[in-house]
Amino acid sequence: MNCEQCQELIHDLIDGSISQRDEFTLNTHLKDCLDCESVRQDLTSILTFCQAHRGEYEAPPNEQALWLRIRNVIEAENGHRVVPQTDSRRPSFFGRLMGQTWELSLPQLASLTAAIVLLVSLTTVVGLRRWGGAEGSHPVPQVEASNVNDRIWQRRQVINYWNQRVELNKARWSPEMRETFDRNMRVIDEAVANSLNELNRNPHDEISEQMLNESLNDKLALLKEFSDL
Amino acid sequence: MIWRGPARASFLTVSTFLTLISLSTAIVVNAQQQMSKRYPGGKNVRVELRNISGTIVVESWNKNEIRLVATIESKNALVVPKQVNECLIVDVMGDNRGRGDVGDINFKLQVPMNSSVDVETRRGNINVSNIRSGLVRAYVSSEGDIELTNISATHVVAQNVIGNIFFDGEFSSGGTYEFKSNKGDITIRIPGNSAFRLVASSPTRQIKLNDFWNNGFKTQDGRKVVGDVGDGRSSVSVMNFSGQITFMRK
Repeated sequence: MNCEQCQELIHDLIDGSISQRDEFTLNTHLKDCLDCESVRQDLTSILTFCQAHRGEYEAPPNEQALWLRIRNVIEAENGHRVVPQTDSRRPSFFGRLMGQTWELSLPQLASLTAAIVLLVSLTTVVGLRRWGGAEGSHPVPQVEASNVNDRIWQRRQVINYWNQRVELNKARWSPEMRETFDRNMRVIDEAVANSLNELNRNPHDEISEQMLNESLNDKLALLKEFSDL
Repeated sequence: MIWRGPARASFLTVSTFLTLISLSTAIVVNAQQQMSKRYPGGKNVRVELRNISGTIVVESWNKNEIRLVATIESKNALVVPKQVNECLIVDVMGDNRGRGDVGDINFKLQVPMNSSVDVETRRGNINVSNIRSGLVRAYVSSEGDIELTNISATHVVAQNVIGNIFFDGEFSSGGTYEFKSNKGDITIRIPGNSAFRLVASSPTRQIKLNDFWNNGFKTQDGRKVVGDVGDGRSSVSVMNFSGQITFMRK
C-alpha cells in the first residue's frame, strides 16, 4: 500500500465504512509510515473536536450565499488560475509556447533540426569573419591600449597581494637576504619601467609589450618565491 | 734570554691575540656541519634540489650512484634528502619552513652521467657539468651565476635575475633550450654545425650571433632576432633585459 491509497482509506476509517481487510492493511501501513499516521491523527482530532462542540455554533443564515462569497474571494485572489475560461488576460506567446504539448512528425523534426544547424553555421561564419579575422589584420589601437592597461592593472593587483605577504615575512630574513631581494626587485622594476616608457612612446611595440609581460612575471615569481622564506 | 717589562707585556699581548684568533677560527669551523651520503642510482636517475641560499655543484662521475655532500652553515638548518624510486629529492625550502634564517647550504652532487638534473636556489651560484640526459634545469630566483658545462640534454633551462649564464654543450635534435637573465651576460658556446631555431630578445640591442648569423635572420631593430641556423631542428630561446647575448663556436 502506498501513502496515497492509505490516505483515501483513512477517510473511510474515520467514517467507519472501512472493511476489515482494508483496516488491517491500513493499520499495518500506519505502523510503518509516520506521515500517514500524522494525517490520521490530525483528521481524528478535527473530527473529535467537531463532535465535542456540536451545537455550539449556529449555522449561518444563508449558507449558499456564504459559500458564494468565499468562492468569489478565492477567485479574486487567484485570478485566471481558478477560472481560466473567464480570465480576460491572454497568456504571453512564450507562455503559450511552453504551455502547449509539442507533437512533431518525423519530417517536421528533421526540418527543424536542419534549420537550427543552418542558423548556427551562418552565425558562426559571420561571427568569425567579423571579429575573428579582423583582430589580426586591423587592430584597434584604443582597444589594444586599454587591454594592455587592464592587464597591467590586474597583474599589479596580484603583485600588491604578494608584496604584502613578503613585507610581513621580511623581518625574519637575514640582512643579506633582504639586500639580495631588494637589489633584485630594483633590477626587475627597472626593466618594467623601461618597457613602460617604451610603450608610452610607441603603444604598438610588440617587443616592449612582451618584455613588460616577462618583467611582471619575473616580479611575481620573485615575490612568490621569497614570500615562502 | 731575559724578558724585560715592556717586552714581556708585548709578548703576552701578541700571544693572547693569536690564541683568540685560533680559537675563533676553530669555533667557525666547528659551527659548519658537513653531511655526506650516497644513494643507489639506476638508468634513469633524477635529482631535484630546492635550496634557499648557497652554491650548487652537480657533476657526473662514472659510478651508478649519487653522492651528496652538503656543507651546512647554521645548526638550525635541516637537510633531509628523500629517495623515491630513482629520484633523489632534496627540498631545503620544505624541510626548513618556519625555522627562520638557516644560512647558506652548499651542495655538491655527483651523479651518473645520464641523470636528469633539476636544481634551484633562491640565491647562489649553480654549476652543472658533464651531463647527458633528458633535462638540465638550473634556476636562480634572484642572483647567482649559472654555468652549464659539457651538457647534452634534450631540455635545458637556465634562468636568473642578476648574474651571468654560460652554456657550453650541444643542442640535441628536437630539444628545447631556454636562457633568461635580467642583468648579466648570456654566453652560449656550441659546435659550429649546430642546427636550431633561435628567438633572441634584448631591449638593449646586445645580440651577437657571430658565426651563427645568416641572412635568413629577421631582426626587429636589433632588439629581437628570429631565424634558423641549419635546419632548425631544436628550439632556442634567449632573453636578456640588460646584458649581452653572445653565441660562440666551439
